[in-house]
Amino acid sequence: MVLAIALGVTVSGGCATFSRDAGFGTVERLAGERLDKDVKWQRSDDDHGSVRSAVKEFLSSPLSIDNAVQVALLNNPGLQATYSELGIAEAELVQAGRVTNPHFSYRRTSEGGERKIEWALTFPLVDLLTMPLRTRIEGRRFEQVKLAVAGRMLDVAAAARKSWIEAVAAEERVRYLEQAMLAAEASAELADRMERAGNLNRLDRMREEAFRSGMSARLSDARREAVTDRERLTRMMGLSGSDIAFRLPGRLPELPADKADLGELEARAMTGRLDVRAAALETERLAESLGLTRATRFVDVLELGPAATKEDPAPWKRGFEVSLQLPVFDWGSARVSRAEAIYMQALHRVAETSVNAGSEVRNAWSAYGSAYDVAKRYRDEILPLRKRIAEENMLRYNGMLIGVFELLIDAREQVEASIAGMDALRDFWISEANLQAAFNGPQGANP
Amino acid sequence: MMSRRQFLIGSGAALAGAALVSRAQAASLPEAPVLEKAATQPPLIPPNGRPYQPVVTLNGWTLPWRMKAGWKEFHLIAEPVRREIAPGMTANLWGYNGQSPGPTIECVEGDKVRIFVTNKLPEHTTIHWHGVLLPNGMDGVGGLTQPHIPAGRTYVYEFVMKHSGTFMYHPHSDEMVQMAMGMMGFIVVHPKDPDRYRVDRDFVFLINAFDIEPGSFTPRVNTMLDFNTWCWNSRVFPGIDPLVVRMGDRVRIRMGNLTMTNHPIHIHGHRFSVTCTDGGWVPQSARWPETTVDMPIGSLRAVEFTADAPGDWAFHCHKSHHVMNAMGHGVPTMIGVDQRGVAEKINRLLPDYMAMGERGMAEMGEMEMPLPDNTLPMMSGQGPFGPLEMGGMFTVVKIRQGLARDDYNDPGWYRHPEGTVAREWAGEEK
Ligand SMILES: [Cu+2]
Repeated sequence: MVLAIALGVTVSGGCATFSRDAGFGTVERLAGERLDKDVKWQRSDDDHGSVRSAVKEFLSSPLSIDNAVQVALLNNPGLQATYSELGIAEAELVQAGRVTNPHFSYRRTSEGGERKIEWALTFPLVDLLTMPLRTRIEGRRFEQVKLAVAGRMLDVAAAARKSWIEAVAAEERVRYLEQAMLAAEASAELADRMERAGNLNRLDRMREEAFRSGMSARLSDARREAVTDRERLTRMMGLSGSDIAFRLPGRLPELPADKADLGELEARAMTGRLDVRAAALETERLAESLGLTRATRFVDVLELGPAATKEDPAPWKRGFEVSLQLPVFDWGSARVSRAEAIYMQALHRVAETSVNAGSEVRNAWSAYGSAYDVAKRYRDEILPLRKRIAEENMLRYNGMLIGVFELLIDAREQVEASIAGMDALRDFWISEANLQAAFNGPQGANP
Repeated sequence: MMSRRQFLIGSGAALAGAALVSRAQAASLPEAPVLEKAATQPPLIPPNGRPYQPVVTLNGWTLPWRMKAGWKEFHLIAEPVRREIAPGMTANLWGYNGQSPGPTIECVEGDKVRIFVTNKLPEHTTIHWHGVLLPNGMDGVGGLTQPHIPAGRTYVYEFVMKHSGTFMYHPHSDEMVQMAMGMMGFIVVHPKDPDRYRVDRDFVFLINAFDIEPGSFTPRVNTMLDFNTWCWNSRVFPGIDPLVVRMGDRVRIRMGNLTMTNHPIHIHGHRFSVTCTDGGWVPQSARWPETTVDMPIGSLRAVEFTADAPGDWAFHCHKSHHVMNAMGHGVPTMIGVDQRGVAEKINRLLPDYMAMGERGMAEMGEMEMPLPDNTLPMMSGQGPFGPLEMGGMFTVVKIRQGLARDDYNDPGWYRHPEGTVAREWAGEEK
C-alpha cells in the first residue's frame, strides 16, 4: 500500500519534462520587448548558417548602432555560451522531478548447512514526499536562470551599444584632429616659407614647428585609441576574418529633438528591472526551501521499501524495511535557523535591490538629462557661435585686420570645439545606453 | 538714435529747440539748431551783425546765432551723437548740436559773444575756448576757473572777441574721454575790416582720431597712440568732401590738431605759406613757402595759396598710416612668400580663405571683400584711372576754371588736356 502511494506520488508529482526551447522564449521575449531585436541560440549547423548570412548582410553597409547591437546579439560567442546555462538549469529541474532510483539489496548467507537469503527493494521515501516542493524550488531556480541569461543578453546589447558609440566617436575624433593637423601643417609650412623669405624669425618659426609636432603626436594617439575602440566593438560582435573590415558611419546619430519622457521612473524600475524580479524569485525559492527544511528537520534519510527474508528451509518472510536516521545529536534546529537566516537575508536583499534600483534609475536619468543639456548647448549655441566667430575672423582677415596665423589658430580652436561637441554628443548617447541599462538592472550575477 | 530735424543753412533754417531745456529757460535762450547730415554745408552768409567773408567747414557747418542787445548769442548743446565717418561706417560719438565736431562758431573781432552751453551728456563738462584771449573765469577749465557744468544744466560764457584769428573749442572736463569721444569745434574770428586778410575760399577742419574696433561703433577712449580712424572733422576718405576751388582763387585752409600726434599735411601742385596760428596772424616777413605743414599737437595753422594750377590735387597727411583706414598692425608681412600649396591646404579648412599680401597690399584697394560690420576697407576710393588705395586723412583739392564765386559743388574728375597724363612708353614717336 505504501508502495502504491509512493508510486502514485511519483506519477502525479514528477511532472517536470524538457521543454522544446529550454526557456529561450523568455530571452527572446525580453529581446523583442526591450531591444526590438532578434536573438538566436545557435544549436545546429542550420542555425549557424542563417546567423552567418544575416551578419554578412548587416555588415554590407555602414553599420548603424542598431545593427551593431543586432549582430552582437546574434553572434557574440560568450552570449551563446550563456544560453547553454538554460539547458543546464532545465536539466536540473527535470532531475528534481525524478525520484532517486529504487534501491535493491540482496544478501545470501550460509552458515553450516543453513542458507539465508535476504532481499529488499527500498525507495527514497523522502524524495517522493518532498518531490513537489523540490520541483517547485527547481522551477523557480530555472526561472532565475532564465532571467539571468536574459540579463546577460541585455548586457551584451548594452555593451555593444556603448562600444559602437565609442568606436564611431573615436574615428570621428581622428578626422577632426586630421583637420587640426592640416591647420598646424599649414602654419608650420607658411612659417617656414616666411623665414626663408626673410619675413619671420627662427624663434617664431620654431614655435609653429613645435606645434605641428605636438599635434602630430596627438593624432597618433587618437588613431591608436580608435583602433582599441573598434576592436572592442569587433569583439562584442564576435567578428573575425574578413568581417572585421566592417564600415562605421562618419558620425554619431543626431541629438534627439527632445529628451525622453519616462514618466514614473521608479515604478518602471520596480516592474522592469530583472534584478528586482530575480531577487523576488529568490525569496520565493528560499521560502519554499525553508518549508522543506522544516518538513525534514528530523528526517535525514528515510527510506522505505518491501523486504523479504528466507531462511531455509523456512518459507519467505515478507515485510517492509524502514531505515531511519534519528537526529540524536542534530535536532535540525541549526539547519532551520540557517535557512531562516538565509531567507531573512534574501528579504533584505530584495529591499536593497529595490532601493538601489530606484536610486540607480534616478541617477542615470539625471546623468542622461544633463548630458542631453550639454550636448544641446554645444549643438545649438557653442558650435554655431564658433562658426560665426570663424566667419567674423574671415571678415577681419579680408580687411587685413588680422593675419593668416590668427585665422589658422582660430581654425584649430574651431576644431577643438567640434571635438568637444562630438564628445558631448557621445557622452549623451553613452548616458542614454546607461539609462536603458539602469532600467534593466545590473546583470551578470549568477542566481 | 535721436530723432532730429535736418537743419539746412541757406534754404530757410529749420530750427529745433533743445528738448531738455525748461520752458522758463527756453524763453530766454537762443535756439540751438542741430544738423543731421555729414555733408559740407554752404557758407553761412551773416544775416546780421558785422559783415565778414564766411568760411566753409569741411563736412560741417556754421552755428547760427541771434543778436540780442548788442550781444551775439550762440547756443551749444553737448550731447551724444551719431556721426557717419564715411559711407558704410557710423560712430557713436559725443559732440555738439547733432554733430562731431560741433558747428563752427564764426564771429568778428570786437564782437561781444554770449555762448550758452547746455549739457546733455551723462557727465559734467565745460568748454575751453582754445587760443581765445578772454577773462580768466571764462576760460572753461573745470575746477580751476569755473565749476564743471553738471549734466542737465546750462551755463553761459560771455566775452569779447578781442583778436581775429583761428581758434577752436573743446572740453576741459574729463578731457581725455570727451575729446576721445569727438567733442570739439572750430572758432573763426574774422577781422573787423572784411578786406583784411581776405581770401576767396576759406576752408576749416579739425584733425581728430578715434580708435574704433572693426565691427563696433563707440571709440575706445583709453587708447593712447594706436588709433585706427584718422579723421578730418570726424570723417575719413572716401568720406571727406573735396575742397572745390575756382581757378585763380586765393585759398585759405585752417586746420586744428586735436589728436595725440603731429600730422605733416601736404598739398600737391601748389606751394603754401602758414599765415595764421592759434597765436595770431603771421607777419608777411615771417612766412616761408612750403608744400607740407607739420601740425603740432593741440595747435592750429592756416595755410594760404593761390590756386593757379587746374586739376585734382591730392591733399593729405604724409604719415602713410594716416591715409589708411582700420588695419591690423600685427599682420605678418607676406611679401615674397610663395603661398601656393599652403593656400589650398588652408582652403580645405577655410573655403573662403584667399592668400593675400604676397605681392604687397595693393590688391586691398582693388578687391571688394566682405568686411566686419561698420568697417571701412583699409584703403579704397575709385578715381578716374583706377583704385585710389587711400583712406583716412586724404582728400582732393579740385581746381577748375569758371566756377561761380560761391559754388562749392563737386565738379567731378578733372579732364586732362590731351597729352598731359603720364602714359606707357611705347617707343620713340615718329
Ligand atoms: Cu597724420
